Amino acid sequence: MRIASIALGLALAVVPVLSQAADDNQPGTQGVLTDQQILVSQVQTDKRSVYTQKLGLTDSESRSFWPIYDEYESKVKKLDDRFLDMLNDYASQYDTLTDDQAAALLKERMSIEKDRMALKQRYTAKVAAVLPPKKALRYAQLETRIEILIRSQVYGLIPLAR
Amino acid sequence: MKLHARPLLALAAALALLEGAAPAAAQTMGSTYDDTQLLISQIQTDKRAIVLKSMDLTDTEVPKFTPIYDEYQKERKELYERAADLLNKYASNYDSMTDAAAKSILKDFLKLQEDKLSLTKKYAKRFDTVLPPAKVLRWAQVENKLNALMDFQGARAVPLAH
Repeated sequence: MRIASIALGLALAVVPVLSQAADDNQPGTQGVLTDQQILVSQVQTDKRSVYTQKLGLTDSESRSFWPIYDEYESKVKKLDDRFLDMLNDYASQYDTLTDDQAAALLKERMSIEKDRMALKQRYTAKVAAVLPPKKALRYAQLETRIEILIRSQVYGLIPLAR
Repeated sequence: MKLHARPLLALAAALALLEGAAPAAAQTMGSTYDDTQLLISQIQTDKRAIVLKSMDLTDTEVPKFTPIYDEYQKERKELYERAADLLNKYASNYDSMTDAAAKSILKDFLKLQEDKLSLTKKYAKRFDTVLPPAKVLRWAQVENKLNALMDFQGARAVPLAH
């Protein structure tokens, strides 16, 4: 299994699905995608535009929300980087996966998920402290919807351990 | 938003994802919330078959895996029921959502997600006592793929708070 193919496949799968989080068809990423960092950045940009479009924030809500959101995204990016590192390890070990490697991969996977959940809970609480309850709920729904869309695409690309 | 219609649609959409289940889902689209238990049962039966097929267990691994998996399914069923209850609560509050209802739904929503993750982690540890690490990793992968697909369909059936 080639490492590069996973990273590129991952990015190619992730970017177009963000437009599905909104009800209308906003244009996704166009052109040839060659660099993983550009792609991650594009995912974040598209995600931001979904929130802009769907949260309908007032000026004062925007001033409170976006700093929290940006802080959250910077922490999510670190978790995404860990996930990509883990995938690259999995790819390089796939054909000769040992018990120790499988156990380590599962441990790291669970650790990332746990950290991601804790982060999401912490920042949803922060958002809920500055937005009206219905908008906070809407934010949590969008965040979860985007997360699910990405997962449903990404997990399909990862071959099962054997 | 029609009471009970959305939760059933979400469950039926999830059910449709499972192999061979589309006709059953189509049949249930027009029925009532009383069928929720039947749907959950059908989802779990179909999911069990897919998991067993995907796990590629040896003859000696099967009797070790299935009792633990069935316990997992039992606990997972409680989470499906909580999800159905939550969707129902959301549906009944949707048209006139108060701040208190939005706060309560958000709290339950986040707790449910946390509990799903904890359950997967708990059973990965249990499988680890009876299966080789690569098979435990495989179980987590299969479970994640199926849950992501079902969540994806379920999320599409639920409108954002307004």
